[in-house]
Amino acid sequence: MTKGAEKKQRKAKAVAEKKETTTTTTTMRETVKLISMEGFEFVIDREAAMVSHTIRSMLTSPGGFSESKDGVVTFPDISTPILEKICQYFYWSLQYSRGKETEFHIEPELTLELMMAANYLHT
Amino acid sequence: MSNQKKRNFQIEAFKHRVVVDPKYADKTWQILERAIHQIYNQDASGLSFEELYRNAYNMVLHKFGEKLYSGFIATMTAHLKEKSKLIEAAQGGSFLEELNKKWNEHNKALEMIRDILMYMDRTYIESTKKTHVHPMGLNLWRDNVVHFPKIHTRLLNTLLDLVQKERTGEVIDRGLMRNVIKMFMDLGESVYQEDFEKPFLEASSEFYKVESQEFIESCDCGDYLKKAEKRLTEEIDRVAHYLDPKSEEKITSVVEKEMIANHMQRLVHMENSGLVNMLLNDKYEDLGRMYNLFRRVTNGLLTVRDVMTSHLREMGKQLVTDPEKSKDPVEYVQRLLDERDKYDKVINTAFGNDKTFQNALNSSFEYFINLNARSPEFISLFVDDKLRKGLKGITDVDVEVILDKVMMLFRYLQEKDVFEKYYKQHLAKRLLSGKTVSDDAERSLIVKLKTECGYQFTSKLEGMFTDMKTSEDTMRGFYGSHPELSEGPTLIVQVLTTGSWPTQPAVPCNLPAEVSVLCEKFRSYYLGTHTGRRLSWQTNMGTADIKAVFGKGQKHELNVSTFQMCVLMLFNNSDRLSYKEIEQATEIPAPDLKRCLQSLACVKGKNVIKKEPMSKDIGEEDSFFVNDKFTSKFYKVKIGTVVAQKETEPEKQETRQRVEEDRKPQIEAAIVRIMKSRKILDHNNIIAEVTKQLQPRFLANPTEIKKRIESLIERDFLERDSTDRKLYRYLA
Repeated sequence: MTKGAEKKQRKAKAVAEKKETTTTTTTMRETVKLISMEGFEFVIDREAAMVSHTIRSMLTSPGGFSESKDGVVTFPDISTPILEKICQYFYWSLQYSRGKETEFHIEPELTLELMMAANYLHT
Repeated sequence: MSNQKKRNFQIEAFKHRVVVDPKYADKTWQILERAIHQIYNQDASGLSFEELYRNAYNMVLHKFGEKLYSGFIATMTAHLKEKSKLIEAAQGGSFLEELNKKWNEHNKALEMIRDILMYMDRTYIESTKKTHVHPMGLNLWRDNVVHFPKIHTRLLNTLLDLVQKERTGEVIDRGLMRNVIKMFMDLGESVYQEDFEKPFLEASSEFYKVESQEFIESCDCGDYLKKAEKRLTEEIDRVAHYLDPKSEEKITSVVEKEMIANHMQRLVHMENSGLVNMLLNDKYEDLGRMYNLFRRVTNGLLTVRDVMTSHLREMGKQLVTDPEKSKDPVEYVQRLLDERDKYDKVINTAFGNDKTFQNALNSSFEYFINLNARSPEFISLFVDDKLRKGLKGITDVDVEVILDKVMMLFRYLQEKDVFEKYYKQHLAKRLLSGKTVSDDAERSLIVKLKTECGYQFTSKLEGMFTDMKTSEDTMRGFYGSHPELSEGPTLIVQVLTTGSWPTQPAVPCNLPAEVSVLCEKFRSYYLGTHTGRRLSWQTNMGTADIKAVFGKGQKHELNVSTFQMCVLMLFNNSDRLSYKEIEQATEIPAPDLKRCLQSLACVKGKNVIKKEPMSKDIGEEDSFFVNDKFTSKFYKVKIGTVVAQKETEPEKQETRQRVEEDRKPQIEAAIVRIMKSRKILDHNNIIAEVTKQLQPRFLANPTEIKKRIESLIERDFLERDSTDRKLYRYLA
C-alpha cells in the first residue's frame, strides 16, 4: 500500500471509530460492514447504512441473500475515497434529519464518481 | 499531480468499463437468469444481492433495459407455467393447500426479484411507462395460474364447496380460506369480484332460495325468523373471518332478499303464528326479531305496520260495537285502556319505540273509538266511577298515572264537546252528593283538561268548584247571624250559579213545614247580602238525614233524598196513606214520585215503608204505611241515592240535541272570525277552515256549516258575490 493509501485507511478507521458506539462485536443488529473495491472495510451503524435505499433492500430483503445474513456488503465498483465520503454522508444525513443543520462539503474532484455511486446506491 | 489538484480539477478517466463486448448483455443476463431460477427454487441463500443488483444496474445503464425486462417476464412466466402444472396435479383436499403454498412462495420470490431489479423499476419502467415489477408479477400469476382453465374452475368450485360445507354445519379450515381469498384481493379488486365474489353471491342466492322454501313449508313464523336471523349472523361472521369486508353488505342483502323479502307477505299472514298471533299473545321476543329483520328490507316495516293497523282497527271495531261490552261503561273504558297499554308495551319492548308504529297505534285508536258514538259518555262515566270510589287507597302517583291514561283516550275523541257535557253532569252530581274520593284528583284532572283544550273548556267546571266553596262560606255566615237556629233542623244550602251547572228544570215540591220555614229565612238572608239575584230551590238534587223510631223502638238515622224526605215526613201525621194522597200533598211529579216510592218500599233491606199490594211496581191504587218491623244492622241507613247512570234512550237523545244546539253558535262564531280576516273566501275553503278551527272540540258537519252560512247571510253578516255564487264576502 502507498503512503497515501495507508493514511487514508487510518483516517477511515478513525472516522468510523469516532462515530460508532461499539466496534468490538459486529453483530447483525447494530452495525454493518461495507467493503470498497480495494478491500477497505468500513464498519458503520445499521441505521446509517439504511439511508441508502439499495443497502436497505439488501439487508431487509426476504429470501436469505448473503448480505442480510452476514451483514457484509461488497462494492467492487466503488473506490475507497468515494465509499468513505458516502459513509460520512450517511452520518451527516442522520444528523440533519435530527435538526442539526450543518454543511456537507464535497471535494470537487470526487463529484462525478460520487454522483454515480449515489445513483447506484439510490441515496 | 498535487499542484494540479489545487488549481483545477481533472476529470479522471471513467473507471467503469466501457462496453464494447456485445455479448456483455447476454452474459449479464445469464447471471441474472440463473439467479432468478435459484430464487424460485428456494435456493437463494448463497447469492449476493449486490452482485445481482449491480448486474441489473449495468444492463439498464447500458441501454439493455428492454432485454432485462422481457427476459424477466419470460422467465417468470415459464416458472409459473410449471408451478400451475404442479398445482393442478394435486389431489383433492390438498389442492387448495398446494395453491396456497405456491402462492406464498411466489410472493416471496417476487419481492426478492423486485429488490434486485429496483433500478430498472425506478428508471427504465418509469420512462417507458410499462408495468412495474411487483404488479407485473401479480398479473403473471393471475394469468398463468388462476386463469389457467383447469385451475380456474376447480379453484372456484373448491371454494364454493367449502362454503357450502360450512353452511351445512361442517368445520372447514378458515385460515386457508382466508389466505386464498386474500390472494384474490391482492390480485386486484376486479379479480376478486369477477372470479370469486360474483359466483359466490349467485351460489349463495341459490342456496338460500332453496333453504327458505324448505323452511317456510315446515316452520312456523317464529321459528322461521329465528332461523333467518341465525343465517344472517352466520354470514356476517363468515365475512369477518375470511372475506373482503366490502362483501358484507352484498351477502347480507342476498340473505335478506331470499329469506325475508320474498316471503314477507306469507310470514306476516301465517295462520296461527303470524304477526296477529304474536301480537295477541305478547310474544315480545318474536316480535322484536321480526322488527329487526324486516327493518332490513324495503317495505318490510311498512308491511308489518299495515297488518298491525288493520288488526287493531278490526279488534277495536269489534270491541266498541259489541253490545255486551257497552252494557258496563267502566268495563268498556277499562278494556280500552288495557288494550292500549298492551300495544304500548309491544311497541316499547319489541319495536324499539318506533315513532311510525306509535302513530299507527294512535290513528287506529282514534278511528275505532269514534265509531261508537257513546264513547265520550262512557269515558266520562269511567272517570266518574274512579273519582267516586275507584281511587281509594291508591297513591298520588298512581292516581296521576290513571288520569293521564284517561287523558290519552280523551285525545282520541272527535266529539270532545259531548264529553264536556257529560262530564259536567257527572261532576255536578258528585259535588252535590259529596261523593268525591279525592278533591286533589278532581282538580288535577281539570288542570289536565285545561292544558289539553284551553281555558274555555274548563271555565265552567272551575266555576262549579268555586260555587261549592262560596256556599260553605255563606252557610257559616247564615248560621253566624242566626244563632237561634242552632236548635231544630240544620239546613245546608249550596248556591249554584246557573251558567256553570247543568241546567235542570226546577221540579215542584212541597217541603214540610219545618223545612220551608228555614228555607225562607235563608232566602231573605241571602238576598239581603246579594241584591238583584234570584234563587230557585232545586228539590230534585237535595238530600236529607232523618232520625226515625220504629215499632219496636229501633232508632235509625236515614239518609234519603229530598223527595223521600217529603214523603216520609207525611207519615208523621198519618199511619197510612194512599198514592194519590201522597201525590197531592207533596206535588212531586209522577215519574219522580214513583221512583222515590219504589226505593222506599220495594228495595229489600231498605223498605222503611210497606206497600199494598206487595208488587214490584208502584201503581196509582197502592197504599202505603210505615214498616214497623224494619230492622237493619247499622244505625245509619242510606236509601237509594240517585247515582249517575248510563242515560236512558230519551235522555240520550235530549243530551245529544242539546249538544247540537250548542254547536250552532260555535260554528257561527268560527265563520265570522274567518271571514273577518279573509274578507272574501269561496265555499270549499270556508268549510275547510271552519272544520280545522273547530277540530279540537268536535267534528263539524259540512251541511250544518252550510246552514249556518245561510243563516248568517240572512242576518246580514255575510253576502254572496253577485257574479260567482260560490264566493262569500264579509259585511262589516
